[in-house]
Amino acid sequence: MPLLRNGRADADDPWVRLDDDAPLPSTATGRPAGLPESSPPAPVLLGLARFLAEAAGGTVATGVLLAPDDDPLVLAPYLGRLQLVAVDFPVYTDGRGYSHARLLRERLGYGGEVRAIGDVRVDQLAFMVRAGFDTFDLVDEIDAATLHAALSRYRTSYQPSYALAIAG
Amino acid sequence: MYRYTEHDRTFLEARVEEFRDQLARYRAGAIGEDEFKQLRLRNGLYVQRHAPMLRVAIPYGMLSSGQLRTLASVARKYDRGYGHVTTRQNMQFNWPALDDVPDILAELATVDMHAIQTSGNCIRNTTSDPLAGATGDEIEDPRPWCELIRQWSTLHPEFNWLPRKFKIAVTGAESDRAAVQVHDIGLRLVRDTGGALGFEVFVGGGLGRTPFIGKTLREFLPAADLLTYLAAILRVYNLEGRRDNLYKARIKILVNAMGIDAFRERVEADWNVSRDFDDTFDTATIDALRAAFPPAPPLAGGAGGGVGGAPGLAADGRIVPERTLSDPLFNQWYRANTRDHKDPARRIVYVSLKAPGRPAGDITALQMDAVADLAERHSLGEVRTTHEQNLVLAHVPVDELFELWRALRPLGLATPNIGHLSDMIVCPGLDFCSLANAGTLAIYDQIYTRFDDLDYLHELGDVSIKISGCMNACGHHHVGDIGVLGVEKNGEEWYQLTIGGHAGDAAALGRRLGKAIPKQDVATAIGHLLDAYVANREPGESFHDAVDRLGVEPFKETVYATAA
Repeated sequence: MPLLRNGRADADDPWVRLDDDAPLPSTATGRPAGLPESSPPAPVLLGLARFLAEAAGGTVATGVLLAPDDDPLVLAPYLGRLQLVAVDFPVYTDGRGYSHARLLRERLGYGGEVRAIGDVRVDQLAFMVRAGFDTFDLVDEIDAATLHAALSRYRTSYQPSYALAIAG
Repeated sequence: MYRYTEHDRTFLEARVEEFRDQLARYRAGAIGEDEFKQLRLRNGLYVQRHAPMLRVAIPYGMLSSGQLRTLASVARKYDRGYGHVTTRQNMQFNWPALDDVPDILAELATVDMHAIQTSGNCIRNTTSDPLAGATGDEIEDPRPWCELIRQWSTLHPEFNWLPRKFKIAVTGAESDRAAVQVHDIGLRLVRDTGGALGFEVFVGGGLGRTPFIGKTLREFLPAADLLTYLAAILRVYNLEGRRDNLYKARIKILVNAMGIDAFRERVEADWNVSRDFDDTFDTATIDALRAAFPPAPPLAGGAGGGVGGAPGLAADGRIVPERTLSDPLFNQWYRANTRDHKDPARRIVYVSLKAPGRPAGDITALQMDAVADLAERHSLGEVRTTHEQNLVLAHVPVDELFELWRALRPLGLATPNIGHLSDMIVCPGLDFCSLANAGTLAIYDQIYTRFDDLDYLHELGDVSIKISGCMNACGHHHVGDIGVLGVEKNGEEWYQLTIGGHAGDAAALGRRLGKAIPKQDVATAIGHLLDAYVANREPGESFHDAVDRLGVEPFKETVYATAA
């Protein structure tokens, strides 16, 4: 299933996950300062340890991948630079990623993209949207009706500080 | 009682339709077995030994007569004509067909009931004191706070996929009848020296394989901070609780591994920031919830002249029904099954679900309908379920007690044994549960049959027996005066006894008596324990206090010396 963004499939996903031992492309840190907006970024996602190591060396990437064990709060110094934080769900029953998204949004005030990757299933979408995710790498192909229902079924909730998923 | 608003109903209808859709997708093969399991568990649906088991939530044990009649209707239409009251104040149905469940949930929704989060690794039904609002020892009615927690925890977007199940209990009374110290979070309403309302917060209690008594996380949490503080605890648990081992995933293991002080630091560090963005509530919200639980109208001038005859005054100034003097059976029930109400012209009445020959906690559809009618006639149309698997009619006028007793007796609901030996807590065991090692219902019968002398039981006083069919401890054997745990050895059922456990104030875990005993000797061994208690107790001393004072030895000797 292609990436889901704003309730619709988005075939145009430029981000590439970089293995921890793969060399950093020269443009891997995103659009270099000073270049015009139109110049293509080379957006790569780095695991948190690699991201922090590169940052310590002076190269701050624009995308980072959080594993369930990672602490999202260590990203605080890099928020201005980050464009994508991907949060991994190795299995959908591991709920740590929901707290990661919540902490990114509310505690760190991060406004960029927060993407759910890994074992992401349609029946989790409503929870994920409310926790702060905005893009989803779904495991299965989901028909449009099921997807629409998942994102629009609940019109009301008991936790007003977690915004509702509303599509259509 | 809390009545659903349009907001609650809209939400619940969406939830029922969501499950109907999930079941249809499962039947069509679009959802796999494992994934469907997680989805159905969060709607109260287990697959058990015989059939699916549906656990319906009874929030903090409160039912209206109309709700109880709907449970009776579900029992008749979709089950085999009965339900089972659980130790967490819910009601289980053991025989529904999977494809009927969406219709059952829809029927429950018509009376503001559901099965949301009654199983699965999420925040479960919040339990409370079954005597809330009726007892004289109350600091504040806990039910508005329970309802606040019910709403906050329902489909919480961050805390619905926890390492393991999570149970919260709230008490508002001085005497703890909600067993708050054996819950993941226990809350006790208190007032500080300035009179401000707050909570004493316990964390990390629980039974199961590794029992712990809850530790004090905060001696005083201002009431207004309740929800943000709960969120901080849940967030730390969600992030730090173990997920690699099912048996080490409860918050009690985390608290024990970190130490309560380090755990507290972690919670406070999160809370210092998150209290500014997490959900909270305002005074108007809690006041509206308080208004949903009004006190029973005072019976001005005392009760007078009902069927039971004119009441008299007891030596302590309480009003007692006259028939207590002339009818010994009524008197026996009155003494065993009724308790003081804060209004001296009312009594709290326990409806015993521990009748001879019936599984503990079971109630038939016929009995449910009858209790619903009696509640309307005598107790303001409300019924409570209790942790000990009985029912309570909390507001019965004293002069209606005799009539109520006469109605309960032929229904098999007036066994005068509340708090006595035969008022046992029993898990469903081998007969229903796929986890159990032991046929707990047979042990219950064995004990019940042996100790059928009501005068002896009354003289014995309050001694609790709690029976679990396996180490998951659904029968709470760790906190029974006498705990009975079924274990399997070489394909046979054996029973491990513990003594001196206690769930209320100053909760304590029972101590192991010695090696397990064969099935046929359980009631005999309990007889020896009781003999040792009667022989050694000081006047007024409870069983667990006697064990505390004397240690295990004198009890152990009588059981094993005889068995050898």
